[in-house]
Amino acid sequence: MAARALGWLTVLALIAGLGAAFGYAPREAVQGNVQRIMYLHVPAVLTAYLAFALVFVGSVGYLLTRRAGWDRLALAAAEPGVLFTGITIVSGSIWGKPTWGTWWTWDARLTSTAVLFLVYVGYLLLRGMVDEPDRRARAAAVVGILGAANIPIVHFSVKWWRALHQPSTILGPEPSPIAAPIAAALLINWIAFTLLFAYLLAKRMEIARLEDTHAG
Amino acid sequence: MPDNWGYVFSAYGLAAVALLGYWRRLAGRAKRLARPAVRAGNVRQG
Amino acid sequence: MSAYARRAWMVVWKDVLAERRSKESLNALVFFALLLLFVFQFALGPERARVEAALPGLLWLGFILSGLLAFGRTFLIERENDCWEGLVLTPGDKSAIYLGKLAGNVLVMVVVEVVLVALFAVFFAIDFTPFLLGLAAVLALGTLGLASVGTLFGAVTAQMRARELLFPVLLLPAVVPVLLASVSATQTVLAGEPLAEAAAWLKLLAAADLVYLVVGVLTFEFVLEG
Repeated sequence: MAARALGWLTVLALIAGLGAAFGYAPREAVQGNVQRIMYLHVPAVLTAYLAFALVFVGSVGYLLTRRAGWDRLALAAAEPGVLFTGITIVSGSIWGKPTWGTWWTWDARLTSTAVLFLVYVGYLLLRGMVDEPDRRARAAAVVGILGAANIPIVHFSVKWWRALHQPSTILGPEPSPIAAPIAAALLINWIAFTLLFAYLLAKRMEIARLEDTHAG
Repeated sequence: MPDNWGYVFSAYGLAAVALLGYWRRLAGRAKRLARPAVRAGNVRQG
Repeated sequence: MSAYARRAWMVVWKDVLAERRSKESLNALVFFALLLLFVFQFALGPERARVEAALPGLLWLGFILSGLLAFGRTFLIERENDCWEGLVLTPGDKSAIYLGKLAGNVLVMVVVEVVLVALFAVFFAIDFTPFLLGLAAVLALGTLGLASVGTLFGAVTAQMRARELLFPVLLLPAVVPVLLASVSATQTVLAGEPLAEAAAWLKLLAAADLVYLVVGVLTFEFVLEG
């Protein structure tokens, strides 16, 4: 089955990613090997953004078509999305401890990601508390749409509010040059995480579909 | 600067545990759903 | 006046009339604001300096907490009197209802905010008069942000069993940018700086308000079904 193939491809990509993160990528000059956490942290947050973009797509899709498949997409994207957001926060926090001395700094990126986490955990809580499928889907869709629209607003408001974090080399407006092996390791891990997300998404959607047919 | 491998491995380790845990939960639910319903009617999943 | 605007106006007018007759909500909200003042004082301790330093944050904490109560009750009348169906069956563009309810909420918040600022002035011996214009600008933009999301989510959670829990849980993360921007802008204003210094924050607030309004207007009809 296609899902099986995707699963194995994901495993291969993850192994390649780990190899790149620990073998191919060099020991960073300033921070030492703790910088390798970045190969987990950055792909995780990029994957989370992808997930929430899909929540938005599923939400709009449902409101426009009322086809349950769109709602299942939104749900199936939100769960791994929250998971990857959590991984982003925890890895960022662990990275911060030896680097800046504290487990938590209210710096721009960590705070934005935390707010994102809160928004989508709320989304999942909402889904958990409404039983009727159509009402649940509509309510979740509205919250999902606002949540997605809010992402850039949160990003800028938090960024202006604090400026401790390193200027984002990936998503910032002025990219500073990154060494090629570091960029390559980031890319490989990003691809691996995207594949992993796709696999989890597909599996979760299938489960949701089966649950719908069992219930109906 | 000291290398802090402990931090690196904890970060990766926690991520692995979380992802593996979620994957196993999904696999479990999928397996239960694939099984034909033992009791007629209600097949309620958590 | 177009039919759309008239429909929105009727919603506001109906709610204002209902409130004027019963007077319950507004009185209780104003009293709540007074209570918050005392709670803040007791939480921060007797040193005046601490309250002064935290003033912008306290003001907006007060507004948000009052807003949570006020916005949560947006559709209470319809819910308690079994009139939800009436909303659902309204002909034409239902977003007029959203705007009407939003206007009502903004009115309520304006009253609460004016009272709260006045109470702060009295109880903490703070003179706001040099800053009134700037403060009004920040309050207007910030309140619009809070109310636009609050009204929308109020509708989303209106018919839910878990409304009282879900509404704050959904609203608070969503209005983080409004809170950050409003507190920062308020701080700038109260420090006596010219409004232009807070311009960046005000622009962000205006942009956020626009986004929230657009989402609210576009999605409200989907909330109102069934």
